[in-house]
Amino acid sequence: MSEENRISDELRGAFVDSQLEAADWAQVAAQMERDPALRDDVCELRLLKDMMRHAYTEPPARRRRPAARPGLRWPWLAAASIVFALGGWFGHGWWSGGPALDPTSAYALRGDWQSLRGDWRTLDGSRVLMHVSSGAQGALATALDEVEDLLRSARAKGRTIEVEIVANSSGLDLLEANASPYAARIAALRQEFPNLALVACGRTIARRTARGIEVSLLPGTVIAPSALEQVIKRLRDGWIYVRA
Amino acid sequence: MFGRSAALRRDIERSRDMLYRMAFAWCREAALADDLAHEAMEKALRSAGQLRDAKRLKGWLLRILANCLCDHARARREHVELAAIEDSVAADGPTPEEAQASAQLVLRVRNAVGGLPFGQRQVVTLVDLEGCSYAEVGEILEIPIGTVMSRLCRARAALRERLRPFVREVLGFRLRSVK
Repeated sequence: MSEENRISDELRGAFVDSQLEAADWAQVAAQMERDPALRDDVCELRLLKDMMRHAYTEPPARRRRPAARPGLRWPWLAAASIVFALGGWFGHGWWSGGPALDPTSAYALRGDWQSLRGDWRTLDGSRVLMHVSSGAQGALATALDEVEDLLRSARAKGRTIEVEIVANSSGLDLLEANASPYAARIAALRQEFPNLALVACGRTIARRTARGIEVSLLPGTVIAPSALEQVIKRLRDGWIYVRA
Repeated sequence: MFGRSAALRRDIERSRDMLYRMAFAWCREAALADDLAHEAMEKALRSAGQLRDAKRLKGWLLRILANCLCDHARARREHVELAAIEDSVAADGPTPEEAQASAQLVLRVRNAVGGLPFGQRQVVTLVDLEGCSYAEVGEILEIPIGTVMSRLCRARAALRERLRPFVREVLGFRLRSVK
């Protein structure tokens, strides 16, 4: 690439930080289609950003002290509990700028499931990890819709695929027997698609248990030490990562 | 009016963990971070009436926190750079296999962040941890947006340098697997 066409470091940073206007964003995205080195670079920046978030998700425990009130130095009020949402390290999905979907760029860009479904050439034999870290009803429903579409599309096209849902933070609600609004649907999916696995984050479970919340998971759910470790393990095993 | 005030107070109190986390990222000392977050909350609660737009609460709180940190540094007559990062952390750190443990990853990243010049550390943590826009960071730290971008750029270059072996290793597995 000629120097004059080079996307500056500031622009690359602004791209991953979603700070660009539409025209600039499109310019970087178009350049990425043509430039594998740029894709890798953006990929690294995104990973770095995710690692940053993860590193400070749980800072050292605070001393227990009462909440502040104006005019009182040390009021005797209950301290707020420390509840940090685990997740966000790998907050990116797929991108496809056209028919030449390059799976190596999957991690690099925010994307959409339409793109993922749009080109199955690169997915045959693939294993896809769907990371769910939000318990918002909309997010859970969308995640399930997409997983179901993915599984059905693969089956219809005779493709081999494995899908694993990894849930943590408030996303664990999806796999909670007593809280999941989709327990019946997930059970039906599991019955229909043996290639769908469910994994719960052990750290999230431990935190809930420590707060006196009994955690009961849907049948067949496996507990991983932590969602992060599971994601890294899967990435190393060649799984495709998608954030719900 | 009273309703807004009560709701604002609750929102400020709920921001305590966010303030503590950011203070810890900035000063790298848990006890000091706790004091700073507490102080920022107290100041915010005392001056809650000055906040005109509740949507700007987070930026307003972070600005108070940044000022608390500056006051603290001035009071101690020293910069809050508490310890220089040991280069050996990156050079002799865990092997890629060991680095799989999230605790080690956390330590590596925190050490790398802690080794940044303070101004860069503030900018990169505001953007990456709190998702602040560049304009918000400029307001919080009272610096021009161009300075935000250049500090951010330098911070990331330094972080990538320090964390490159691990980043490459993770992405290497990822890329190799899809060929």
